[in-house]
Amino acid sequence: MSTARVAMNRQGVEDAYAEPMNFLEIDVLDPQTHGLGRARYTDYEIRLRTNLPVFKVQEAVVRRRYSDFEWLKNELERDSKILVPALPGKAIMKQLPLLTKDEGIFEDAFIEERRKGLEVFINKIAGHPLAQNERCLHMFLVDRRIDRNYTPGKIR
Amino acid sequence: MFSQNFPMAAATIVAEDQDKLLEEALTVVKAQSLQMKRCLDKNKLMDALKHCSTMLSELRTAMMSPKTYYELYMTVSDELRYLEMYLIDEFEKGKRVSDLYELVQYAGNIIPRLYLLITVGAVYIKAKEAPKKDILKDLVEMCRGVQHPLRGLFLRNYLLSITKNVLPDTSEENPQRDGSFRESIDFVLLNFAEMNKLWVRMQHQGHSRDREKRERERQELRILVGTNLVRLSQLEGVDAACYDETVLPGILEQVVSCKDAIAQEYLMECIIQVFPDEYHLRTLPKFLAACAELHKAVNVKNIIISLLDRLAAFATRDGSVPEELKLFEIFSGQVATVIEARPDMPTEDMLALQVSLAKLALNCYKDKLEYMDKVLRNTADIFTRMKTTNIDADSPAAAKELTKLLKLPLDAYPDVLTVLRLENFTPLIAFFGYESRKHLSTHIVRAAIDKKTKFAAPESVTALLDMVAPLIVDQEDQPAEKDDPEDFAEEQSLVGRLVSLFHSEQPDQHYQILSTARKHFGNGGETRIRYTLPPLIFSALRLAVLYSSLREQDELWEKKCQKIFQFCHQTITALAKADFSELAMRLFLQAALAADKTGVENIAYEFVTQAIQIFEEDISESKAQISAVSLLIGTLEATSCFGDDNFDRLSTKCALHASKLLKKPDQCRAISTLSHLFWSGSNAEGEERRDGKRVLECLQRALKIADTCMDASMNVHLFVELLNRYVYYYERGNEMVTLKYITGLIELITTNIASMDRNDEYNQINANFQNIITHIKLKQKSADGPNYAGITV
Repeated sequence: MSTARVAMNRQGVEDAYAEPMNFLEIDVLDPQTHGLGRARYTDYEIRLRTNLPVFKVQEAVVRRRYSDFEWLKNELERDSKILVPALPGKAIMKQLPLLTKDEGIFEDAFIEERRKGLEVFINKIAGHPLAQNERCLHMFLVDRRIDRNYTPGKIR
Repeated sequence: MFSQNFPMAAATIVAEDQDKLLEEALTVVKAQSLQMKRCLDKNKLMDALKHCSTMLSELRTAMMSPKTYYELYMTVSDELRYLEMYLIDEFEKGKRVSDLYELVQYAGNIIPRLYLLITVGAVYIKAKEAPKKDILKDLVEMCRGVQHPLRGLFLRNYLLSITKNVLPDTSEENPQRDGSFRESIDFVLLNFAEMNKLWVRMQHQGHSRDREKRERERQELRILVGTNLVRLSQLEGVDAACYDETVLPGILEQVVSCKDAIAQEYLMECIIQVFPDEYHLRTLPKFLAACAELHKAVNVKNIIISLLDRLAAFATRDGSVPEELKLFEIFSGQVATVIEARPDMPTEDMLALQVSLAKLALNCYKDKLEYMDKVLRNTADIFTRMKTTNIDADSPAAAKELTKLLKLPLDAYPDVLTVLRLENFTPLIAFFGYESRKHLSTHIVRAAIDKKTKFAAPESVTALLDMVAPLIVDQEDQPAEKDDPEDFAEEQSLVGRLVSLFHSEQPDQHYQILSTARKHFGNGGETRIRYTLPPLIFSALRLAVLYSSLREQDELWEKKCQKIFQFCHQTITALAKADFSELAMRLFLQAALAADKTGVENIAYEFVTQAIQIFEEDISESKAQISAVSLLIGTLEATSCFGDDNFDRLSTKCALHASKLLKKPDQCRAISTLSHLFWSGSNAEGEERRDGKRVLECLQRALKIADTCMDASMNVHLFVELLNRYVYYYERGNEMVTLKYITGLIELITTNIASMDRNDEYNQINANFQNIITHIKLKQKSADGPNYAGITV
């Protein structure tokens, strides 16, 4: 029998214990409902923490509503070659006040379910190496307001 | 692609799902292992390996918590034993299963592949099929293939457990081929490094909000990593030198560079526990230097204390520490470095380190006072640096540690005098608040009493009393409300007991000591002197008697006695002024007795008159008067220095006060007691006075008083008591007391007793009376003794 093997490069102690360089965590938290009547909407806190060099900051907190997520999805579908995952459903039926006895899309249980869905969605996007280069993603995660008239492009 | 970047952590799976996962996995394991065993029984090895591989695939899961995975792993490794046994059997029977080691490497997935490789590798080693060292090296390298922390840790644990008894050691038959303990060290160290890496990496897995749970899970897994160190410690070849040069540096390199608090804290503790103390002694600087490099979240204090306590215990158990090893200096320097390097270390932790250092100093270097003193100085320096003035207020936990620190030398040294020689001891007490100061003071006093430490010089008395000042004088910072009276009495009685320790064999020195103590106690205020001064007076009185017995050798004895009596006089007067009248009176009488023994009549007379004066002025309560009068009579009866004039004056006073007592029965009893003064009391020549006439006068007066007593049963009671005295004096030969009195009294009692109600009182009185009668009858029958011929009973 043989125990002869191809020689391997030994890992140094510094390397062995180094913190991973791909830390990325995005939390979707604290849903708040604003406004009245037709102007009524819910937004969420988006909290980014990362040590990926492509993000210029290590931490960012912004507030976004469902339509902002839709915007991001559209931008990515148009400009990048990646397959963008689905957003949690729009709940058309719930948006018709006559058909629902409860608060509809402002019901706590619905909001919580949507929050989880958005969290999965944004983590999938932000974890994708190609999506990480898109300017729209950075604007979504870091800038206080989304400038819908921005010039699409890549981050270097 | 997307889903892999967002892994579902095992952490998010709830407990019941874990049970279900385990159940499902175990079902597969059982089924496959059954198939494997059947195939093995039919000698279908290839089929058996296939089933085994399927069974092992269950260990590929990423869904299980460490606990669940552990249970699965235990079951699987049990089943693997069967395969191992089978293969060993085959090899022993001489059947060569050639190329099995290569063969199992075709298993499709890495987890089953490596478990099989390890199992077969161990069989090859046991069957001496191949050089041990090559196989071991290959296995430990191959395991790198699994980088998932949980799976990797268990795989390597399997490697470690299955090679447990085959690692080459000093007794290897063919070290050339199989390797020696050196190869084993390399093997275990490499496995340890890899396991530690996986273990530390777990910290970075999953969402940051699950950190606590993750750390808990890591703690559950730590023993897997620690097993490597245990294995190293079990190698015969690892002697102190090898440990120093190879093993410890190898371990410490990983521990220090992993920069992970959980790993560092556990592994340092593990090193201390698994390797012998002799090794630690040898490698102390190395180990402690590594301590200084640990992550700042590591509780270095616990590690150093753990080692310190172990070595201190070892040194005490095993005799002395090698001379050349400067154990104390090393630790002391290291503790200082650690404290300096960690400015935000809590004060109680810094003090806890000093406590351990002190234990080391006391256990291993008991005669080196300067070591203990140095620890105390370090501690004071810490307080000064932190600008602490009241440690109780700043940190109760630190105050506790300081108390512990200061109690150590008190308990360790054979006497408290040694503690007084520690220059930095008393200054440290000042950092305490009032309560802790008092608590420690009590401990010091108790230690002194328990150890029977003699304080034979005024300086040491002063040093001690200054040290325990909270018990001696009022403190500026003491609370306004008074102590519980019982606690206070207990505490001050304890201080009083100190006086018995203030003792010098040289009488002059002893006097100096007492004067010194007197000054300190005098500042204690009226509530304390009641407890502290009386023992001083007794000690002084004994000293006076001692001088008197030394009159042949010391011509100044009389002057010295006089000085002592003045000291006593002045001290007792202080108590009288503080309204402790009964106590003062008793002490004056005690002083009178001492003066009587030295034969100085005028001083004894002075003391008795002082006692009488206090009685007349300050003792008004009738019960107190009764005992005071009988004490006065008793004292006089015991003296022998009074001439007739003084005796007359004093006995007349006694008679006066006896007859002035409030109740008739008390008068009656006091006067009958007084009679003894005239009979057995001594004159200045030391002879009994035997004044029969005055005895009779006393008895007759007492009888008259008893007669006027209205209470019928009390009246009879007193008669019986008096009868007893009459009989006593008659038998002692007092000619004035004749049978006539006895006969008359018996008749009187017999009449009165007959008219009494029959109750308990009657029974008692009658019993006493009958005892006397029986006594007289007995005497009548016996030939010698007093003559009772003239009476009928």
